[in-house]
Amino acid sequence: MLQIDKDLCIGCGICESQCAFGGIQVADGTARVGDSCTLCGACVDACEVGALSITGTEKSMQMNLADWSGVWVYCEFRRGELAQVSLELLGIGRKLADVRRVPLSAVLMGHETGDAAEKLIGHGADTVYRVEDSALALFTDDMYGAVMTALILKHRPEIVLAGATAIGRSFIPGVATRLHTGLTADCTKLEIRSDDGALLQTRPAFGGNIMATIECPSTRPQMATVRPRVMKALEFDTLRTGRIVDVAPPADQLRSRIEVIESVASEGAKVNIQESDILVSGGRGLDSERGFVLIEELAKALNADVSASRAAVDAGWISYPHQVGQTGKTVAPKLYIACGISGAIQHVAGMQSADTIVAINRDRNAPIFDVADFGIVGDLYEVIPKLIAKIEEHRGS
Amino acid sequence: MNIIVCIKQVPDAKDVRLDPKTNTLSREGVQSIMNPYDQHAVEEAVRIRESLGGEVTVLTMGPPQAEAVLRQAISCGADHGVLVSDRAFAGADTWATSYTLARAIATLGSFELVLCGKQAIDGDTAQVGPGLAMRLDMPFVTCIQKVREASETGMVVERMMDDGYDVIKVTYPVLLTVVKDLNEPRVPSLKGTMKAKKAVIKTLTAADIKAESALIGLSGSPTKVVKVFPPEPRGERCMLTGTVDEQVEQLVVKLRPYLP
Ligand SMILES: Cc1cc2nc3c(=O)[nH]c(=O)nc-3n(C[C@H](O)[C@H](O)[C@H](O)COP(=O)(O)OP(=O)(O)OC[C@H]3O[C@@H](n4cnc5c(N)ncnc54)[C@H](O)[C@@H]3O)c2cc1C
Ligand SMILES: Nc1ncnc2c1ncn2[C@@H]1O[C@H](COP(=O)(O)O)[C@@H](O)[C@H]1O
Repeated sequence: MLQIDKDLCIGCGICESQCAFGGIQVADGTARVGDSCTLCGACVDACEVGALSITGTEKSMQMNLADWSGVWVYCEFRRGELAQVSLELLGIGRKLADVRRVPLSAVLMGHETGDAAEKLIGHGADTVYRVEDSALALFTDDMYGAVMTALILKHRPEIVLAGATAIGRSFIPGVATRLHTGLTADCTKLEIRSDDGALLQTRPAFGGNIMATIECPSTRPQMATVRPRVMKALEFDTLRTGRIVDVAPPADQLRSRIEVIESVASEGAKVNIQESDILVSGGRGLDSERGFVLIEELAKALNADVSASRAAVDAGWISYPHQVGQTGKTVAPKLYIACGISGAIQHVAGMQSADTIVAINRDRNAPIFDVADFGIVGDLYEVIPKLIAKIEEHRGS
Repeated sequence: MNIIVCIKQVPDAKDVRLDPKTNTLSREGVQSIMNPYDQHAVEEAVRIRESLGGEVTVLTMGPPQAEAVLRQAISCGADHGVLVSDRAFAGADTWATSYTLARAIATLGSFELVLCGKQAIDGDTAQVGPGLAMRLDMPFVTCIQKVREASETGMVVERMMDDGYDVIKVTYPVLLTVVKDLNEPRVPSLKGTMKAKKAVIKTLTAADIKAESALIGLSGSPTKVVKVFPPEPRGERCMLTGTVDEQVEQLVVKLRPYLP
């Protein structure tokens, strides 16, 4: 419950302006809680006179936390390759494990994983649990979930991380539910609190308009999916040693209730825009499908991949997997070049964590310029060809 | 076919903005809308019912005003609306939400197909669908971009992956979460709007669904929000000036670190 101390409340309205849910209002000089309060606590932090507090926060589920130890990373392996985010997770996992003075383990599931386990060790893992089976060649939520759940129950790690990818965000929630523990989605920052070793998980919500730090105080493991490209992988170190433990799951874990008939790598399959270093993105300002030919050319000159706004996708100029934004993908490339994109909040939600943002738009009032590091006001059909020429020139020199 | 669609009322993101000067959320006239992904789930459910018969129930957990999205779904073709609402549910994270929705579904009967949106645009977690499937002990597939075939016994669907898509055959009961490529939601007909106005919304409390109090709301949620704060502002922005040639020249200099 959100409690309001009527004696302390001065009716200033700060709480009201802080609430993203319209859950608290000031009327007759004092704050009142409404039905849409989600108990997120934003108002409690903001209240300058300390009139607000949340009660009943004791968690009803309690586990013996001391029974759980070690940091785990689920390392995604698909079409014969490790996902880049797996190595990034080993990077942050290593840090967390070192602070906690516990080992870092990787879970590798798949078929014909080759030297992937050795690679994981070189990138920071102390132990790799390798689950090799032809049944795991194709991803299914129930098999991957059953194997992962069983492994966690057996070894009891205190922290489990996975990439916030299509696969990670699909089966990990099922695992957390089965384990009766919390899961924080799409984290962009992870830290250990020094007092008690709790994992502090920070993530954007509301399409990046607010950030929230979340913990999992009374159950284990503490689980999080982590956004690709946010954490740094460690350099591969040939001298690192580790242990590979081969796991053979019992048959019942390797039965799926769904049947994958076919796994299709789409045209741009090699391109997962979430893993691109540089994205050249086109919007409605391209005016037609032809515009993407120009976008492709610029992308080629920069060794970049191509993405798009929803307007361009809806127009049918490019396929949905290329869509950036709230109802598309969230990307965090080193460089994002928005061409003919107005910068609607739903679009910005998906790209504002790029290191550098360039906007090319002929409307100098376009909101995209509010988030751009470098803005060019001009017609993209004039600017881009010149830009390509200049890039070639600089490359030549 | 008995289909249930879980829908959520969310604040319209375009209205929620951070005031860059004060770093507070400005919610001037924030509208509540049906979560966009859920609109596609409702549309698909109605299409399946139109071809196979049966009934579509829409379910939401939320405050009393969340009733609005149930009526909206009915205006777009859903048959029944159910509101699960109780003060005791406040502060639920995805774990407690999926428990509550599962209890509500068990109370309502049995369903061959459960549909959810991929994620809700307020929390952006995408966790309720899979969590709900575990609790209902149903197989599930997330991010459905296309239904190739729906029959009395099962479906063939395409699930979006990061690198393409998988074609998957499922038999009922099954839970699916959907993305927006799936279909184009219809606009309500006049008849639908009339029906929605008159529809009787069933309301269920924590007691009605026999929810264990230890598993709902804030105390039943394993996660805890410890801090909410505005994102770090982006660095100084720079509008390039001069002729197009000059601007392009300046830009290429700035971009030098990125050039191949
Ligand atoms: C629930 C919901 C979810 C959404 N999710 C997403 C999402 O995930 N991703 C997304 O992108 N959008 C999303 N949108 C849509 C979003 O609100 C915008 O409509 C969309 O981003 C606009 O795309 P755009 O910038 O390409 O087009 P426009 O807004 O039409 O902008 C085109 C821009 O191009 C400029 N321009 C035109 N011609 C030229 C030229 N020759 N040279 C230079 N500049 C030119 C114009 O000045 C204008 O600024 C969502 C909307 C809703 C309601
Ligand atoms: N309170 C709720 N009531 C009904 N359905 C919900 C609720 N919360 C989430 N859902 C469903 O779960 C999906 C994913 O939500 P989330 O996990 O919160 O991102 C949504 O698209 C809805 O279909």
